[in-house]
Amino acid sequence: MLKTITYASFGAALMATTAFANPYADYEGTTLIVNFPAHPHYDAVMQILPEFTAQTGIEVEVDQLPYLAMRERQTLELGQDEGEYDLIAYVVFSKADYVYADQLENLAKYFMNPRLANPSYDADDLIDGYVYNIGFAGGERGYLEGKTGSLFGIPYGSETSVLGYRKDIFEKHGLEVPETYEEMLELACQIPELEPGMGGLASRAASGHHAAHAFLLHLNPMGGAIFDENWEPVMNSAEGVAAAEALKQIVDCGPEGAVNFGFGEALGAFLNGDTAMYLDTTVVAGQINDPERSQVVDKVGWALHPMGSERASQTGGFGIGIPANAENKEAAFLLMQWLTSKEGDKLVALAGGNPSRFSTHADVDVNAAFPHMATFGEALQYADPDWRPIIPTWGRVNADLGTTLSEVLTQDLDIQEALDGVAERARATMDEAGYYTWQ
Amino acid sequence: MSDITAATGMNQPRPTVRKARRLANRLSPYAFVGPAIIVLFIALIIPLGYMIYGSMLDWTASQSIGEADFIGLKNYTDLWNDPRFMKSVSVTLRFAFIVVVVELLIGVGLALLLDRDIKGMTFLRTMFILPMMIAPVVVGLMWRFMYHPTDGTFNRLLEKMDLPTVDWLGQHALMSVIIADIWQWTPFIFILALAALQSLPRSALEAARIDGATAWQQIIYIKLPLMMPVLIVTALLRLIDAFKVLEVILVLTNGGPGQETQILSHRINETMTEVRHLGEAAAMANYLLILLMALTLGMLAFNNWQEKRAARIRAAAEEDV
Amino acid sequence: MSHAPQKQNPAFYAVIGLLVFMSVGPVLLMFVNSFKLDVDILSGTSGLLFFPTIQNYETALCDILWYEPDHLRFCQLKFGGAFINSLVIAIISTVLTLVLGAMAAYGLVRFRFMGRDTVSTTTLLVRMVPPAVLLVPVFGLWNNQFCLDQDGFLGGWIKDMFGGRGDPCLAGTHSGIILIYVAMNLPFVIWILQSFIVQVPRSLEEAARVDGAGPFQVFFKVVLPLIKPGLAAAAIFTFRIAWNEYLLASALSDRDTKTVPILIVNNMSEFNVEWGVIMATGMLLAIPPIIFTLLASRQIITGMTAGAVKG
Repeated sequence: MLKTITYASFGAALMATTAFANPYADYEGTTLIVNFPAHPHYDAVMQILPEFTAQTGIEVEVDQLPYLAMRERQTLELGQDEGEYDLIAYVVFSKADYVYADQLENLAKYFMNPRLANPSYDADDLIDGYVYNIGFAGGERGYLEGKTGSLFGIPYGSETSVLGYRKDIFEKHGLEVPETYEEMLELACQIPELEPGMGGLASRAASGHHAAHAFLLHLNPMGGAIFDENWEPVMNSAEGVAAAEALKQIVDCGPEGAVNFGFGEALGAFLNGDTAMYLDTTVVAGQINDPERSQVVDKVGWALHPMGSERASQTGGFGIGIPANAENKEAAFLLMQWLTSKEGDKLVALAGGNPSRFSTHADVDVNAAFPHMATFGEALQYADPDWRPIIPTWGRVNADLGTTLSEVLTQDLDIQEALDGVAERARATMDEAGYYTWQ
Repeated sequence: MSDITAATGMNQPRPTVRKARRLANRLSPYAFVGPAIIVLFIALIIPLGYMIYGSMLDWTASQSIGEADFIGLKNYTDLWNDPRFMKSVSVTLRFAFIVVVVELLIGVGLALLLDRDIKGMTFLRTMFILPMMIAPVVVGLMWRFMYHPTDGTFNRLLEKMDLPTVDWLGQHALMSVIIADIWQWTPFIFILALAALQSLPRSALEAARIDGATAWQQIIYIKLPLMMPVLIVTALLRLIDAFKVLEVILVLTNGGPGQETQILSHRINETMTEVRHLGEAAAMANYLLILLMALTLGMLAFNNWQEKRAARIRAAAEEDV
Repeated sequence: MSHAPQKQNPAFYAVIGLLVFMSVGPVLLMFVNSFKLDVDILSGTSGLLFFPTIQNYETALCDILWYEPDHLRFCQLKFGGAFINSLVIAIISTVLTLVLGAMAAYGLVRFRFMGRDTVSTTTLLVRMVPPAVLLVPVFGLWNNQFCLDQDGFLGGWIKDMFGGRGDPCLAGTHSGIILIYVAMNLPFVIWILQSFIVQVPRSLEEAARVDGAGPFQVFFKVVLPLIKPGLAAAAIFTFRIAWNEYLLASALSDRDTKTVPILIVNNMSEFNVEWGVIMATGMLLAIPPIIFTLLASRQIITGMTAGAVKG
């Protein structure tokens, strides 16, 4: 109830500022069809959309899909001459595919248009790393910011990785919150001994995308990378092996059945109290404090992603962009601008979403409602935009990496050998795609 | 035919009508078979041709088929040298053979055991059909719940009996998938085997009984050989269906861990949706089709040979009477 | 059966009881769990001691309920719509398959197009094609080639009638999914119905012809009524596939034509594995097949055996 009242007052405030000239007038009655993932952040978005319609008169119809299915759907829709979607949320790694195939609108022409661009938008307030990681293409390495880059989307639902830990368990045994990887790995295997039946750290590990993601989480802090600056695969370096070993140790000391955990199962294990730590995206915070889902309400503390040789947390989540084949591009831009504006970002944060602005992370109301927001804001400073390569061949490399790592976790393969295999196949893929043309 | 109509004197058709009717009669075979053939042509033959053409293209999901480059048989040779593809071929074959063999053994065994007048039989058959009728997707989710490492039915039960729990979908993923399939499809073989048993010539069995054959001898020398043609067709149908299993695996393990349960159908789907290389997926589909075709034709040939043999045995058995 | 029923060893009844339990057990488990809250499912206080709730069904069916369930913040699962799509697709494709299949089977048997063996072998070969093989071509064709020009007469008309963007294509429509289901099921239906049509006495058909009936009248008025058991069996099998199929439907449907299996797989996605709701949707999907099984087990068995034992 209280929440609704907050929304209403926000809405009233927005209405007041826009009352004299209504930039939305021309688009009243338009129905936008948007494609969003089934994802906690976008569930929060679903709750604030009625507010947008009330303020602007623009209707929004949402097609919500699980994100892998969403990507599949978008591949198809964006390939048509005229597409159904006016606005899409895309997974970070789809950016490469869409921009490369010329399927996303360059946003410059909208921000240039005085009738559309809101002067108080304050783009500088958007968190840099995410704008570069999710929104930019054409600059450095082709997929990040730079002098030759331009903007194709705006981050919406920015996630980074943080360490969640059970305050009660840590207190009971006098454990220190781990600062470094060494400490974390040691704790991960110590906890099952201290608390029989409890796993150390919940991580995803299931074959495919999940295992690859879990590996990437550890790769950057260890100082490793997927490719060097000449696009040579280096995931089989000593750092890569260390990251895979860390993953294996975490899974071995994890809860029962951990080798098959997808995101949902890993989170479920933590929510059920089956593990003492959780290292993954910030998006879970809302569920951890939801008594209907979670048995660990108010027992969880948050800390930064532990340091390896450096401090680096993931940049993940979604961006929103306008398909080149959309019907109502200008109205879609207005929705996009509204959602990512200071007001919109705050609304969605209060509804349990992941804000993408510095100001929202510092906001008093938001911090009062979600005390963990300050830690998350700090974590965002270490978010590494070059966390994983966002190139069209990534899908294939990622699939191979994920399968191989799952084999490492279940079949006691030699880690170095397994990663050498991935590197060799990745090189062939990159070669075929022309990445070595200029060497 | 029209002569008869004329002779009976009713509705005497005029010559033009008669000509039209004769034309209709001549065309009616095509009118009956035509629609089905058109549908099959549009929705099966054209797609298969399209697939064969597509398999020779460097074709990604972001391109339309016209934009893709022709690369000949490169997709096929790449796949042939791809250990991951070969691994999923071997998983497919292993899965299909184990499933068919185990289901045959259990199904036929049960049929032989229960081929008698017991009151509950009709009820059993009805209840036995249930697993087959339920959507594979639902079967997958039921078993995924039962296999759950901590909250699942099986591990709870094992815990209660103080036995060590089993990592069903981790260490024993292929076995777990196979068990789910056995649960769903053994009844199919059971019902067909039972029908076959009950249609055996009673005279041959009577004769054997009079000759003093033991129950085992009856089974081995008379029942099984006579059932053989039906069993082969049944096995063939199951084999074909075993290659189609995808949804159960998709929901249960999504092909993992590693590639342990990645059957070909799953890899095709993954190549199309995640790797987004349609050309390669089409080439895989073609390999799968060729593999299935070879197996089917092999089994059909074997069936023909068996049928002749069974006919001889049946004749001999009936002569004995 | 020729010989009189005899007393059997009680051990056989035990075996039968066990088999029934094994085959029905998982379904019962799903049924029971669909009335539990997630907390109850996971807490392990198993058995029948729980407080049944229809909350899971409310969550699933929120888009067609006349009231808004209290526990939902917004209606995410559009199960009702998907259920209607599934019904439309399954029923229409079943009817079409039966009509086309019966006609073809009749034509093949009566007019001796090919030998029966050739037909059987061909149908078996066609039946062999796994849905995964059709995935790529069907996806490509239905989306790009099987389209009408939106400026053309028919394409324009369809666009006016049903809306949508771009050239109207088969993909994303009910018809697109129905077409592939009809094609997938035709060989099997032809195969089964042949064995029934062969048994229809020719004299009956000839008598009707004598009375002046054309070939189609003979077929619809004389032959079809006589092969009702075969039609029933074929109908159930076709319905089962059209109702349960996931892979092709997921490639061909758009947001308005999603079927129930797609919804279930989607709902088992990443972010929350809500067992209660999943079991409830699974149960809803399983209800029609369960009803068929209980009402028409005889026809199902006929259908299953007709293919292999007679044929």
